Amino acid sequence: MSTAVHQTSSVKDYFKGLFNGVTTTFKGMWITFKYVWAVKPVSIEYPEVREVLPERARMRLFNDAQNCISCTQCAMACPVDCIYITSEKLPENAEIKKTSNGQAIRLKLTQFTIDTALCCYCGLCTTVCPTECLTHSHDYEFSQYTIDAMKYDYLAPDVRAWRDRIVKV
Amino acid sequence: MLNVDLNKLAEHLNNQIPGANATVHFPEDIKKCDPSLTVEASKIFQVVQFLKSHPETPFNSLHVISGVDYVEWMEVAYVLTHYSLENPRQMILKVKLTDRVNPVLDSIVKVYAAANFQEREVFDMFGIRFNNHPDLRRILCPDDWKGWPLRKDYVAQKDYNGMAVYPDGKMNFEDREFIIRQDMIKKAQEAKAH
Amino acid sequence: MQTRWDVGEPERPTINEETEQLKSDLLTLNMGPQHPATHGVLRIEIWTDSEIVAHAIPHLGYLHRCMEKHAENLDFRGVIPFVDRLDYLASMNMEWTYVAAIEKMLGTEVPRRGELLRIMTAELQRIASHLMAFGTYALDLGAFTPFLYAFEEREKILRLFEEVSGARLLYNYIWIGGVWNDWTDEQLERVSQFCDTMEIEAKKYHELVSMNKIFVQRTANVGVFTLDDCFSYGASGPVLRGSGLKWDLRKVAPYSLYPEFDFDIPVGEGEVGVVGDCWNRYYVRMKEVVESIKIIRQVLNKLEAGPVMGKVPKVIKLPKGEVYMRHECPRGELAFHLVSEGDSKKPYRLKVKSPCFTHVSMLPHVAPGQMIADFVATVGSIDIVLGEVDR
Repeated sequence: MSTAVHQTSSVKDYFKGLFNGVTTTFKGMWITFKYVWAVKPVSIEYPEVREVLPERARMRLFNDAQNCISCTQCAMACPVDCIYITSEKLPENAEIKKTSNGQAIRLKLTQFTIDTALCCYCGLCTTVCPTECLTHSHDYEFSQYTIDAMKYDYLAPDVRAWRDRIVKV
Repeated sequence: MLNVDLNKLAEHLNNQIPGANATVHFPEDIKKCDPSLTVEASKIFQVVQFLKSHPETPFNSLHVISGVDYVEWMEVAYVLTHYSLENPRQMILKVKLTDRVNPVLDSIVKVYAAANFQEREVFDMFGIRFNNHPDLRRILCPDDWKGWPLRKDYVAQKDYNGMAVYPDGKMNFEDREFIIRQDMIKKAQEAKAH
Repeated sequence: MQTRWDVGEPERPTINEETEQLKSDLLTLNMGPQHPATHGVLRIEIWTDSEIVAHAIPHLGYLHRCMEKHAENLDFRGVIPFVDRLDYLASMNMEWTYVAAIEKMLGTEVPRRGELLRIMTAELQRIASHLMAFGTYALDLGAFTPFLYAFEEREKILRLFEEVSGARLLYNYIWIGGVWNDWTDEQLERVSQFCDTMEIEAKKYHELVSMNKIFVQRTANVGVFTLDDCFSYGASGPVLRGSGLKWDLRKVAPYSLYPEFDFDIPVGEGEVGVVGDCWNRYYVRMKEVVESIKIIRQVLNKLEAGPVMGKVPKVIKLPKGEVYMRHECPRGELAFHLVSEGDSKKPYRLKVKSPCFTHVSMLPHVAPGQMIADFVATVGSIDIVLGEVDR
């Protein structure tokens, strides 16, 4: 109890305590005062100055739909089930395209949607992706007015442009 | 688990407390899993009291009480610890409860004060009532919540005080039939472009 | 440590006969759920007799996210991001404990470099967590500056973690079988530099706060937990060590590669006040920072090139059985009671033994007779993180 602290037994103790109080407070003040000139500021003035994110930074997900083979491994790995994939079989005589690392695309991707509001940015989906088409971009400013707007359709025509505009890697 | 000869302890318990019916369960691979000691549910208070003041291997602290629902029966695991620098000890003590409708155990708050909150949590999650507990209320769920969440047959209530528990708008039950609202996205992207 | 203020044994002001008559005047006061001194969403119902707390009832569950129920429906790898969110200030330690439980049941061998990197990240995380504890504790008691100084150093650790794992708080870095990414030499060099600056900074913190008369007046002899209290309530970590028992799982029941390392376990020695009070709990944390730096330096010396991930099956299936895995985390002993039914991709039951939950249950014991301001100091000194209490 702090009440016991106040019961100083002698005058000597009283002045000792007083002296301690003054010196320790002065020491603390001196440390703080040194920050006036001796220490450089560490904070940055966001949004004028932006921090360069590390290469591995896990921000908004981006799927390069041209390379996606609809394997649904990302949707399986996702702990919060925020990835929605639909695909259908290619017609029989269709030309089989290849991804950039040489895997054949045997299914036609009809829907690839990520609910970013549910996403927990754990990075498990990007590690299982066999063609490395699903990646974390460095875009961290994507607040929206409605929660529905957080659902991103990566088959929409303007998605590529969106990435080129925002992600400057 | 740690510095405890469970077989010897079980023998000792059976001699000292009639009806304790202590049995040791050793897993197939002792390196991978932990052994445990199971006693009769009705004797848990005497057993714990005995273990706390055991002349040779006392356990001066209770760490956690954890319930497990095996559908046919329920188990409550007490992890007992002995805080001693020379002889640290730890063991899992278990009781089996076959009654799922009205499971009852004796509270051990009088032996270990730690049991107070831990038993409240087991009550909250599994609906196991503890006799002689000073303050048996739900601890993590709201007081007027229905059902016992960690039981395997738990179905969440539909509505709580007039609020929907799983509102349709926030939950995506069927992944494949999910319909994306394209117009909303376009609007948002246009707004961003401007 | 030459300075000493002998203040004698603490006296708990009890509710005497006079106030007994005024019992009907007990005022119910709600501290929280949005009170800054409760470190999150903890509500403590306090019955006060003027300025003296007569009774305190913690109400938990405001941050209850059903983590244990979620874990039953996820595969073993998918639980790791959820485990991160338990104690969001010490995610690395949380991950490691969970992963160690799985690895024990799986019988996985972790490569040496992976294990050493785990120790290093865990100790860095311990420093970050203790810095946060230091800053917020000073903030609770009305000092704002230490908070900023602590954050400046903590930021360096978070930046390193961000570079190596990709996230600042919820890393998902320690995986079953090893760690996700390797550290580059440049990053390890920065860790070494951080250790140097942190040692100087720690001295500065002691000068600024630890020995400050005002701080001592607020914390010494306040909220005393005796060793018997700690045993009975099952306390652990800095709370137990602050009460004078040299109990640290890293020494008492060594796990991982900790037996190879040379470090001390700081305990509350009662330099100021009595053993087991708020000041000693705080001081144990600050001394642990220095010990962690020692461990990190040794890790840096031992590190050799090699793989960081061991061989793990693609689909993890555990044998039938259970395991109780406990590790020493910044706030105390964290343990996972993992039950597996065998031949299943999901845990059958995952019970979290959270140290803060235990420590919160000690509050009603220590509160009666305290001043309200002292009670705030007590709540701050056990360094609770509500994510872990409510799970």
